[in-house]
Amino acid sequence: MEIQGGLRQKMNKQMAGYIQENNTEIITKWQELMKNEKNDRSFQVMPTDLMNQTSKEFADLMLSNLLESHQAYETRLNDFAEKVVRLGWSMTFVTKAIDHFSEVVFEGMEDAGLITQENFRGFFKEFNNWIIPIRDSTVAAYSKTWERTVSLQKIALQELSASLIPVFEKVSVMPLVGTIDTERARLIMENLLEGVVKHRAEVVLLDITGVPVVDTMVAHHIIQAADAVRLVGAKCMLVGIRPEIAQTIVTLGINLNEFTTTSTLQRGVEQALAWTNRKIVEVDEQ
Amino acid sequence: MNFRIPILKLRDTLIVSIQWELDDQTAIQFQEDLLNKLHETSARGVVIDLTSVDFIDSFIAKVLGDVISMSSLMGARVVITGIQPAVAITLIELGIRLEDVMTALDLENGLDKLQLELEA
Amino acid sequence: MSNQSSVEILTEWDIVAARQLGRNVAKELGFGTVDQARITTAISELARNIYLYAGQGRIEIQQLMENGIKGILIIAADQGPGIPDIRKVMEDGFSTSGGLGAGLPGVKRLMDEFKIETIPGEGTDIRATKWLR
Ligand SMILES: Nc1ncnc2c1ncn2[C@@H]1O[C@H](COP(=O)(O)OP(=O)(O)OP(=O)(O)O)[C@@H](O)[C@H]1O
Ligand SMILES: [Mg+2]
Repeated sequence: MEIQGGLRQKMNKQMAGYIQENNTEIITKWQELMKNEKNDRSFQVMPTDLMNQTSKEFADLMLSNLLESHQAYETRLNDFAEKVVRLGWSMTFVTKAIDHFSEVVFEGMEDAGLITQENFRGFFKEFNNWIIPIRDSTVAAYSKTWERTVSLQKIALQELSASLIPVFEKVSVMPLVGTIDTERARLIMENLLEGVVKHRAEVVLLDITGVPVVDTMVAHHIIQAADAVRLVGAKCMLVGIRPEIAQTIVTLGINLNEFTTTSTLQRGVEQALAWTNRKIVEVDEQ
Repeated sequence: MNFRIPILKLRDTLIVSIQWELDDQTAIQFQEDLLNKLHETSARGVVIDLTSVDFIDSFIAKVLGDVISMSSLMGARVVITGIQPAVAITLIELGIRLEDVMTALDLENGLDKLQLELEA
Repeated sequence: MSNQSSVEILTEWDIVAARQLGRNVAKELGFGTVDQARITTAISELARNIYLYAGQGRIEIQQLMENGIKGILIIAADQGPGIPDIRKVMEDGFSTSGGLGAGLPGVKRLMDEFKIETIPGEGTDIRATKWLR
């Protein structure tokens, strides 16, 4: 074991030494290979100096795994993965980059006579020990960044699509945009009711112009929302009913009879003003 | 141990503001007190303000619903005011719709609504 | 991880105690006002059912932690008569006591997970969970 550990360390040192000494040459060769990747044009479209800088960083990262402590490498890898995600590199592209890099180094060391028939097996194993963890942690770093992005987008979508806008005293509008699932329906309900109480709205117009599909589930949520609005002491009106929505509602046998509904927001607002004993009049210019 | 919920009279309206967490006994006591007071005063309207109530379960909902039906039998209209968003949502999810109940955002709105209703 | 506390249900007042315990735990866990109301209401329904139909029993509140997500588990357990027809009691409006019959189906809607185990003549165990989103 002792001897083997010592041997491994020696091989690692040789690899690191070779990379450091032939840095420029390796990077040039590697860039050639990457540019020839047909399925991913990330490298062709990148400005030269940015490409050189990124390549240098990539080489440093590869090297640091051979030299540095696990922790230092981890931090560096995280920074790198984030950068690469921002550059829009795909995960396949990055794994290709890792493979090509080790290929270039391996062939280079063969040509330089460092890897021979005798030690071939040992080096092959050592290269795997070097590359596999890098691949694994790259994939992990990617999926972490990716998960975070997805959850941020989800929050952004939720915030975007459910706010109550006061348009007149006592009258507010909530435009609904996009597909409504159970989770969003809950959020819409909470924002709607809190908005009604906060803005002291006596009438709220739920505008479903931007809702692509109204099925029984969506209709059920809308009916519940309207019921809850009634409980807190306001009235709810459904506006923006497009012809195809009217058709599906009736075809599905959904009963919205207890509701006041109108086709356009404008008619809805007029109705809401009437309910609160007001109306819009034109003023003659004198 | 039992609180009694105070019932105030303003002209021909009774005003009740519920300020504590309702336990079952207090709720039933309230139902009895309100009906007695309606009988004594022959008030024509009742406003029950729930602004400080932070949850209503099916039992309290039933007591409230009963109070409303009983009051209407005795010739009085009831308005419930100040139901909090969280309370409205839990009631709906419980499946309690309180269908024929008049509601208003707050006590003041409730009194206005009641006035309109009684004049009509 | 779980952290538990419980209230024996013997009198009507214990219903109030159980839901106050639940509300405090829910607040501590970081649930918003709407979820607090949902959890409190669910506890009230289950505790009252114990008081009305089983005479006595226990409400237990557990704090949960699964895959980094916090949650609250309500266990309502009694050694009462049990529920003969679970499917019936899960229908809206079914009541043997002149109630609204909203309790059990309502609790199911208020919470994220809901499970009844009951043996006629031996008792009932109801578990309902809500996760902190
Ligand atoms: N712990 C229990 N032990 C025995 N029977 C029960 C228990 N909990 C509920 N039940 C039975 O299930 C029925 C339905 O309960 P549920 O809570 O849904 O409605 P309810 O209590 O009758 O009315 P509400 O809760 O709306 O006031 C009850 O009428 C009762 O017969
Ligand atoms: Mg019940």
